[in-house]
Amino acid sequence: MNLERDKTLWRLAMLIPPLAVFGVLVVWPLFSSFYYSFTNWNGFGANYRYVGLDNFLQIFDDPLFMRAIVNTVIWMLAAVILPTGLGLVLALLIDSQVPGASVFKSIFYLPICLSAIVVGQIWVWIYQPDWGLLNTAINLVTGGDSHFAWLAKPGTALYAVIAAWSWQQTGLAMVIFLAGLTAIPSDLVEVCHIEGASTGQRIRQVRPATVVVVALGVINSLKGFDVLYIMTGGGPFNTSDTLAMHMYNESFKKYHMGYGSAISVVLFLIALAIIFAYFRQLRKVDQIYE
Amino acid sequence: MNDRYASATTSPSFNPWPAAIFVCLTVLAVLFLAPTIGVLLSSLKTTQDIALGKLWSLPTSLYLDNFATVLTNPAIHTYLLNTLLIAVPATAGSIALGILSGYVFAKLPFRGSDILFLAIVAGMFFPPQVILIPLFRLFNGLGLLDTLWPMIFVHIAMGIPICTLMMRNFFATVPAALREAAIIEGASEWQVLSKVALPLSLPALAVLSTLQFTWIWNDFLWPLIFTQSDDKRTIMLGLVFLQGQYSVAWGIQGALSLVASLPTLIVFLFFQRYFIKGMTMGAVKG
Repeated sequence: MNLERDKTLWRLAMLIPPLAVFGVLVVWPLFSSFYYSFTNWNGFGANYRYVGLDNFLQIFDDPLFMRAIVNTVIWMLAAVILPTGLGLVLALLIDSQVPGASVFKSIFYLPICLSAIVVGQIWVWIYQPDWGLLNTAINLVTGGDSHFAWLAKPGTALYAVIAAWSWQQTGLAMVIFLAGLTAIPSDLVEVCHIEGASTGQRIRQVRPATVVVVALGVINSLKGFDVLYIMTGGGPFNTSDTLAMHMYNESFKKYHMGYGSAISVVLFLIALAIIFAYFRQLRKVDQIYE
Repeated sequence: MNDRYASATTSPSFNPWPAAIFVCLTVLAVLFLAPTIGVLLSSLKTTQDIALGKLWSLPTSLYLDNFATVLTNPAIHTYLLNTLLIAVPATAGSIALGILSGYVFAKLPFRGSDILFLAIVAGMFFPPQVILIPLFRLFNGLGLLDTLWPMIFVHIAMGIPICTLMMRNFFATVPAALREAAIIEGASEWQVLSKVALPLSLPALAVLSTLQFTWIWNDFLWPLIFTQSDDKRTIMLGLVFLQGQYSVAWGIQGALSLVASLPTLIVFLFFQRYFIKGMTMGAVKG
């Protein structure tokens, strides 16, 4: 039938431009990363050779990689606890018909539109040893004279960066929870109120939103780079390195592009597993609504 | 008064909860705003005042020298212009491509189109580090390193997942009968898209423009990898670079951060609703 043929032609005409761009600049590089991870390419020239699984074996001998993995997991856990927990609390408070709800919403959401670089810079000032907000507040409360360098101490650097990052991510978690709360039909909410539903029961109602927030938090923690780059650069002594940071340092500081590719392959596989689990959960969430 | 509080307000005893929640939120809001206020205050103070621990007091007089220093620095003009030259075409390009693919997935589905759609949308969630090295090599081979082109291309490509997702969801709400009527009257798919579906999708375009512009403006990783010379830097890269130059001039750094954030703050103030809608849609409707 002519109409069917027309449809096919239009499909092709409309899909080829986006798929071509996406294919050349996203899909093909993805597979190239796998290829380079089996080579010892140094970033320049065509002088490299196939080294088999050497890069992947090197990963297990690389204490910095192990450090980066541990830090990434810490970051993920913090992402699940901090922005998710705080975001849920904020959403429940704001959703209780408090006066000025929209103003509160904007205030908590504002950091999302700042760049990670600006967020990092703001928090560098908060942690500034001599006049930063944190030490000033601590000295005010304790009456002491602390000049603690939060970002320069191995024990605190990673957590200091995670706190800054959480400050930005909380607003995002909050609006997703709010969307989940308002998606519940209002007559249902009324029934809950009449029957004296507890806050716990309401929390269970936002389970679909929780799936989204947790998954997004975990995925975003894998991408955490900019804020880390400006605040600590992975230091001191690589104690705040994450996988994304380690990959950058190996590839573009030391020009170990083959090894860097191997790290990016690991990063990809972790992301893939999370995205897979997320999409499966989303399907279940959709079924609940249907 | 809202129904949900009807029972609370009619009860004879005083209900402390709404007041407690308000106080609680206010305290949290002040804590949340403190970092941003700190930058604002620092930008209005001399370095000496900040070092003397007067950062957190209100300025006694209006000191604008920091902003004057920032706004008269020609390098910053270049950074801002570069960022605009990347953000505008990349935003437009990614949305244009998302319109095309979104229309096919919504109105012309085919066998396996669901899987293809999911695969594209999944691209939204991958850490960009995964494709960093091959793209570096590609643009190096094309002789495009240290120009603005790599950022434009990459942002168009990386924007395709979110634009496809958003446009498909929006086109899906356009009634199928509208399309069929137009087709029967002899309109081509292109005419249906441009004359029927697109005019109905202006809110989606607003959502995508605000999201994409903000992300691209705030981006740091790609220009960090793809540029080298000062006159090719974007504003976020320039911000980091100038931090070294003004290393103890905290007030100037504060003014710099504010100037760099101004476009996205304006977008946020005026298009907040679209912005939030886009963020939640992109996250939830995967």
